[in-house]
Amino acid sequence: MDDYLIGVLSNIGVISFVALSAYLLLLTGEISFGQQAFFAIGAYAAGIATALWGWPLAAALVWGAAVSGGAALLVGVPTLRLHGLYFAIATLAFAEMVRILLELFRYQISIDGELTGPNGTDGFRNIRYIFDHNIDAFQFLLLIYSLLVAAMLAFMLLERSRLGVIFRMIGQDEALAELQGIPVARRRVLAAGIAGTLAGIGGGLYAHLTTYVEPRIFDIMLGVHSLAYGLIGGLGTALGPLLGVLIDIGLLESIRALAGYRMIIFGGLVAVLLIVRPRGLLDETVVHKIGRGWQRVSLWARRSSLKPRGNSG
Amino acid sequence: MGTAVQPETEGKQRLSDWRMAVKSATYAMTTLAMLALCGLENAHAQVRAKADVSCQPAERLQYDCIIKLADSRTSEPLSGLTLTVGADMPSMPAVHNVRPVKATEEQDKGIYRARIALEMYGDWALRLELSGTVRDRVVKLLRFESDRVGEATPAPERHRH
Repeated sequence: MDDYLIGVLSNIGVISFVALSAYLLLLTGEISFGQQAFFAIGAYAAGIATALWGWPLAAALVWGAAVSGGAALLVGVPTLRLHGLYFAIATLAFAEMVRILLELFRYQISIDGELTGPNGTDGFRNIRYIFDHNIDAFQFLLLIYSLLVAAMLAFMLLERSRLGVIFRMIGQDEALAELQGIPVARRRVLAAGIAGTLAGIGGGLYAHLTTYVEPRIFDIMLGVHSLAYGLIGGLGTALGPLLGVLIDIGLLESIRALAGYRMIIFGGLVAVLLIVRPRGLLDETVVHKIGRGWQRVSLWARRSSLKPRGNSG
Repeated sequence: MGTAVQPETEGKQRLSDWRMAVKSATYAMTTLAMLALCGLENAHAQVRAKADVSCQPAERLQYDCIIKLADSRTSEPLSGLTLTVGADMPSMPAVHNVRPVKATEEQDKGIYRARIALEMYGDWALRLELSGTVRDRVVKLLRFESDRVGEATPAPERHRH
């Protein structure tokens, strides 16, 4: 496979994690402009684990996910009483706080005679795990997509489970969900924790994919994009944010003539879709119709297979 | 009666949520464990490269770059390698995927030349991918403007904008 294609597909896979993270919070009715902070925490934590502590990649990714998930739980508790605009501003403020803290964060040790580790605004270079362990770009692409498939399977389970229904109920009408006896506060914190964990896994993968991270990578632009992916792709299914990422990085990437105007087109697309399809391309209605259509097709197939065939003899 | 049933329902619900969480965690952990076992952990010492990059504007949004590659420990020039130059915009991660170009080696050992085409002016992280006898990646942050190429904007400057 072409290196360029592997690079684009890897980017799509990694950014899908942060898109899924923002999507989960959208399901519970919250707009977060701060998921890039957990992506950053995951990236730095996993990068430090492999580059400075010599951990294996799997352990580093788990560590990155745990640290970012823990941070998300810590943010989830004080923002419990905030909704709408106030929640959005609080998450944005947290993300900016994390970014500025990373600009001040210095933790370097000498590895093979070379200072390695986060160095404030200069960023964190030499996250060389994939080179030191001879993992090629295609193998890393497989790793990204294996984890993405695992995350999607977990989402499919979630959406069919009582917890998934509860998340959607909270998103539709929190007061009504509370009246139904649902512990809304606890479920919202749980959603924030899961979303933070997902973003952290993506961050860990990103750090090892690019081998280099710096605080400005994790600014508001990434937060807005991750939110927009769910709004473009649709809130009816976890495939929605993935569709959003595919449209932005995949489709717009393939139209090179638009390269310089991508942000304008992307912004316009979000604005138009918010007016025409407020819950995205794959909204609940479309997903329901697809589900019904699939049921009909499978029923028809079952009936036609049960029909007695005429005897030719 | 009702008060006796409610905690039971809530208990079942909590149990179902936990089952869900445990299942999801199991999927993720199994995947990670499998990948960890798939031979990804055979570390060995590699040559680390260092690079000096200087670029000059050629045409609109196109730049000619001269790259000097050397071993970071011994400072010996690294020649005979396949070098591709890509770029990513740190302020918009993963969004601008500049198609990597292959650099050609000059007569002098360890000196390569490439022309890159960017999508816009601003700070870019040049990704130098080395393959062949040495496999490595060096990232260089540079600011590309219409008439010159210099150091990437320092953080305090960025805050002022």
